[in-house]
Amino acid sequence: MRVLVLYAHPVETSFCAALHARTVAALEAAGHEVDDCDLYAEGFDPLLSREERIAYHDVPENRQTVAPHVERLQSAEALVLVFPVWNFGFPAILKGYFDRVFLPGVSFRMEGGVVRPHLGHLRRVCAVTTYGGTRLRAWLAGDPPRRIVKRVLRATAPRAGVRYHALYDMNRADDAARRNFLERVDRAMRTI
Amino acid sequence: MRVLVVYCHPCEESFNRAIRDVAIRSLEEAGNEVRLLDLYAIGFDPAMGPDERREYHTPHANELPVAEHLEMVQWAEVLFFVYPTWWFGLPAMLKGWCDRVFVPHSTFVMPTDSQPMGPKLTNIRNLTIVTTCGATWWVSKLVGEPGRRTILRGLRWLCHPKCKTNYLAHYKMDTSTPPSRARFLSRVEQLARLIT
Repeated sequence: MRVLVLYAHPVETSFCAALHARTVAALEAAGHEVDDCDLYAEGFDPLLSREERIAYHDVPENRQTVAPHVERLQSAEALVLVFPVWNFGFPAILKGYFDRVFLPGVSFRMEGGVVRPHLGHLRRVCAVTTYGGTRLRAWLAGDPPRRIVKRVLRATAPRAGVRYHALYDMNRADDAARRNFLERVDRAMRTI
Repeated sequence: MRVLVVYCHPCEESFNRAIRDVAIRSLEEAGNEVRLLDLYAIGFDPAMGPDERREYHTPHANELPVAEHLEMVQWAEVLFFVYPTWWFGLPAMLKGWCDRVFVPHSTFVMPTDSQPMGPKLTNIRNLTIVTTCGATWWVSKLVGEPGRRTILRGLRWLCHPKCKTNYLAHYKMDTSTPPSRARFLSRVEQLARLIT
């Protein structure tokens, strides 16, 4: 499969960077073709501009400023997100990817005022993520990033199997917990 | 009350701008002291960079890049957010403001093996959101309103234990009408007047 990996962490020595490297290596070892999009390294601008907001509903002009990202998304058969949960949400740079690239005519289309999914070409959607807080605290907060992946992305990519791999309580996780999670991610990516 | 209005929209002719202006006027008429933070206007950079992330857990050093913003949230008794809901969440600009400004030690106490995280922004006694959603009320509820939860639950843990919350949304924004928008603005006005 052609897999688009979206990675969103600024520090190359972070645990998230290790998760990213393991994800890409496992996918390639399993014979997949990986398009590795490191949003920080590529200098992705997360801000939807005034001009983009005004042209937002004009298909296909609305994609002009992010055309390469749209092409990469449309040629993918699987989407894998690797990110840390910050403040019970995506880091801004990843949230901005959704704001700017998941456009009308790209990830959804409007038909008579009704929103229809438009990412039918995706067969898999996976998230690999870490939380500073405990699972209980995330659950009490309503776990917004899990909802976005399991509900919104599932609805946008109706043919895709959706998986959510999370390590909670990172602030107190020991080496064993991290190693186990890396192994879990490795297995999940090999069998994607 | 000391109210910090955190406003996030790229277009000055947007409905969000009208909401913002009605809110500020009503808040001031009700006797509040209001400060406005217009994130697009000041060109806030929402992406936490590598150096900032490396210093994220270092007391004092983690405050330096966002010192003036920290001063504002430590001044405020009310955070009043006005933003459009995009992809069921906060615009990247506003999400990045939360990522960068709500740093450990000065806004919350890091958890340890023996105790959970604790609040430090006990000056904040009210979190209010006024937003616009393209989706319907039903779809928003079905998805679980991630943006609302990020602020009214996630951020609320940093605030006073008795912090109150308000949430007001104009749904189906893409098919809104002049009367629906006028009705909504009058609800914004009522809500803002209740904050005293």
